[in-house]
Formats: sequence, C-alpha cells, structure tokens
Amino acid sequence: MLRDFVKNIGYDDPLEASLSKIEGLLSSEYGISKRSAALMILQEDPDISETARKREPAESAKEIFAIAAELKTHYSYPLTYIITERRQKEASRISSAATTVTKKGSLGIREAVSRAMMNPFIGGPILLAVMYYGLYKFVGNFGAGVLVDFLEDKVFDHHLNPFVSGVVDKYVPWAVIRDLIAGDYGVITLGFRYAFAIIMPIVATFFFAFAVIEDSGYLPRLAMLVDQIFKKIGLSGRAIIPLVLGLGCSTMATMVTRTLPTKRERIIATLLLALAIPCSAQMGVILALLESRPLGLIVWLSVIVGVFLFVGYLASKIMPGELPSFYMEIPPLRFPQASNVLRKTASRMKWYFLEVLPLFMFASVMIWLGQITGVFGFFVRMLEHPVRWIGLPSESAVAFLFGFFRRDYGAAGLYDLKTEGLLGGNQLVVACVTLTLFLPCVAQLLMNIKERGMKVGIAMSVFILFFSFSIGWIVNMLLSISGLSL
Amino acid sequence: MVKQEKEDKKSVVPLSELRPGGKGQIAYLQAKGKAQMQKLLNIGAIPGMNVVLVQKFPSYVFKLGHTQFAVDKELAHSVYVKITK
Repeated sequence: MLRDFVKNIGYDDPLEASLSKIEGLLSSEYGISKRSAALMILQEDPDISETARKREPAESAKEIFAIAAELKTHYSYPLTYIITERRQKEASRISSAATTVTKKGSLGIREAVSRAMMNPFIGGPILLAVMYYGLYKFVGNFGAGVLVDFLEDKVFDHHLNPFVSGVVDKYVPWAVIRDLIAGDYGVITLGFRYAFAIIMPIVATFFFAFAVIEDSGYLPRLAMLVDQIFKKIGLSGRAIIPLVLGLGCSTMATMVTRTLPTKRERIIATLLLALAIPCSAQMGVILALLESRPLGLIVWLSVIVGVFLFVGYLASKIMPGELPSFYMEIPPLRFPQASNVLRKTASRMKWYFLEVLPLFMFASVMIWLGQITGVFGFFVRMLEHPVRWIGLPSESAVAFLFGFFRRDYGAAGLYDLKTEGLLGGNQLVVACVTLTLFLPCVAQLLMNIKERGMKVGIAMSVFILFFSFSIGWIVNMLLSISGLSL
Repeated sequence: MVKQEKEDKKSVVPLSELRPGGKGQIAYLQAKGKAQMQKLLNIGAIPGMNVVLVQKFPSYVFKLGHTQFAVDKELAHSVYVKITK
C-alpha cells in the first residue's frame, strides 16, 4: 500500500512527461521499479546510468539521455534538487496529517546536557572527564590493571604456563619445538598469553567504554566541537570517531576510516593512526613505564600531540584533493541500552579475535623462526645504530624490533630494561616517544596495505621508520641541551 | 508592492547570519558545486523547511524540522533563509 502511495507522487509537467517517456523506453531489469530507475537516471546516478548505457539497446539509450539533457534546460536548479524538494513536500504533507506536535515550555534536561556538550567552554572539561573516567580509570586501572593482573598472574603464570611447559617437557623431545610452543617467545607462553591475558582485558574494556559513549550520542557532539581544529590537519570533525577508536585498537580504527567521505581524508587519518595514535595495549605499558614520572608523561604527551598536529598540518598542505566538508546529524542524547552495548562489544571482540589473534600467533612463529635462523640477530644489530643515536642502550634494539611485530611487545621489552635499571628518566621518555611513533604493529601494517593499497601502505611505513627515530633524536638532544632530568 | 519585495530581499540571509535562537524558512540553496549541494539535499535542507539556528561556534548547529544537524561555515553559508519571527 505504501508502495502505491509513494508511486503516486506526481511531479510537475515537463518532469512528469519526461519521466514517463524514459520509463517506457527502459526494457531491462534494474532490481527496482522502472519509475525509480528513470528517476535515478534523471538525477544522474552514476551506477544506474552506467547500467542503462550498457543494457539498453543503443537507440533507446541515446533517446533516454537526450530526454534527460533536454529536461535539464527547463530548470535553473539540478534535477536532484527539484525531485528532492517535491518529495520533501509530500513527506511533510503526510507527516503533518499524521502527527501532532505539542509545545514544550522549557528545554528539558536532555537538551541542556546536549548544549553543554557542544559549548566550546564547557565541552572541553566534559571531554577530559570522559577521557579520565572512561579511558584512564575504566580501561587503564580496571582493564589494564585489575583484570590483567588476575589473568596474567593467576591464570597464566601460576596455572596455564607451568602446565603447558610440563606437558611439553614430558612429551616433546626436541628443544627447538619445545621453544616454539612453550619457550620465552613461544606460541602458547607468549602469543597466547599476550592475546588473552594482556590484550583481551584491555580491548574488551575499551570496546565496552567506546560502545557506551557511541550509543549515548556523545561522538557527533565531540565531532562538532573539534571540526575547526581538524580542518587545519586536513580532516573534518567526523574523523574524530576512527581516531578515538584508534586509542583502543588502531588496526580496527584503520578499517573504520572507510566511513570518511574522501580519499584524502582516509589517507591522512590512516597516517595519523599509524604514527601518532597509541593503541590501548601500548598506552597501558607506557603509563607503567612513566609511572612516578609525571613530568616525563607530560613531555611524552606534548611531543605526541605536537607530532599529530604538525604531521597532519603538513599532510593537509601536501596532499591534493577535495577539501573536507563537515555535516553530521546530532541525534538526541540517550541512555545506552545494556543489551546493545554488550552486543556491540561482543561483535567487536569477535572481529578482534578472528582477525588479530592469528596475527599474534604468526608473530610468535616469526620471532621463533627469526631466532633460530639468526635473521633476528642481524636486524637487531642493524637497529642498534639508530637506537644508540637517540641515546638508548643497544639492548633496547630488541624491544624496537619486537615492537614491529606487536607494538606492545616492544613496550613490554622496555619495561624489562627499566626494571633492570638500564634506562634513566630522559631515556625512558625518548624511548616511549620513539616507540609510540615507530612502525605500527604487523597487523596494522597489513591493514594499511589492504585499505590504502601497496604503494601508500609501504610509503607510509618507510616515512614512519625514519620520522620516529628523527623525533627521538631531536627530543634526546633538546633534553640534553636543556639539562632537564625527567 | 515594490516596497514589499525589497523587504523580502532584505530578510533573506545565509543561515550563518542568523543569531542563535533565530528562526527562518529555507528560501533557496546556493552551494559551491554539485557535491556540496547534494550534502545539503541529503540532510533534507530543502526550500520551504523551517530552521532554527542553535549555535554558531565552534560549528553551526541548527534544527531542521525535528532533527538537529551540525555543519561547517561553508555549508551554513550555502543555505539562504527567510527570517521568520
């Protein structure tokens, strides 16, 4: 019934006449009604027009597009404009006949909170509060602290790892294979343990917090607040969504850059995610490294924010293409529904395990292979030079190489160096800065190539490799010159 | 009659010129190119629709019918509205 009703929208004379002529000329199947197909041709829809050109006999195709071209001359506005206007009128007529609007006196609490979130002065503190409670307290303290301690100490270190080592020692006679399964970098003892005991609680709490924020309707309001700043780095406010998601898992966020409207924005967002957005796993370890050094944390944060803005600004100057434009619906604020939040969290976790867990296992195997063939030793020795240039002990080269396979491996490697007392305060800050900027984990590198193509993906990685060490070098120099001790 | 027309012209301004809380009815669109025009049409910014400007900074927020939208300066400049009381 609705179908008939909608079909009956009449357009004004020239439009209606051309429409029925085209309708009569269309002979093939479009999967939609002939009238809809004809309307889309008039609105210059590229897909339907292309199909019509291919499928209709040459004669009728020619006539169809001649009619469309002739019709255009009747109007001073594009036909989409005319058609949309007519549809909107009809929709308004139906809705005003079917609904009544009651006037509310005051704005209501919901609208007041919404206005506060979009206020440039109150919005900032609200953002800080969301970051502090959502990210720092919930993900950082609860996820990366309480949950990780429980899973790592209790489940893996006390039960699972000794059990696996015991079984492997008993039944596997070859030392090489024993290492692959249960050695220091074994598939179970390292790959599995990292995936389940460290990464899982962090990403699970992050995805949960993100789903709550997403469902409340806060993100479009944040997008609207940052749009003007983001325009300076070649993005629109809309890009805040993948960038915030990147604080959880940059690999998933790179996939989400698909929601950005232009290629230029997608490339800039991918680069910034790879370079300057630390993922939750990495942040957990960095916070642990710089624990009790608040000044160091401030320097780290300022350098990363500075690099983010600087590289974004440069990229926006260099990259050709359409300038970003911002428009977004601001949906009403809502209390997130528990069932929706849980379903979203579960589906992201599922994606994470299906896509990323195999890569962790692969990384463990690569590290094992690299060690028995000596390839790793070679790369480590190569990396020792740049590592020394930025003022770090050669031992940290291992952490950087592992950092490529998984950014948090690298950070965790630095953590061991810190506990052994090999790194001072300044060195810790330089190491954290370089490691945050350094090549994304292998999963993200593959995602970059998959989403942006081989050329762009590889070019970005090479740029990041050199850029991260250059910034490390500069920070190290500035710290030594200034005589600061962090 | 002529005076009336002049009055009408004066009261048609870009959406960005309304003061926060100001109301108007969309008169016409004047976007910089097809893509921009399409964006406005997609959100339903069509002549005849009533708008209320909610805020101007840091981005333009307006109510269009029962829905709120945020747009940048460019787009807010492209929507011309007839001021209503």
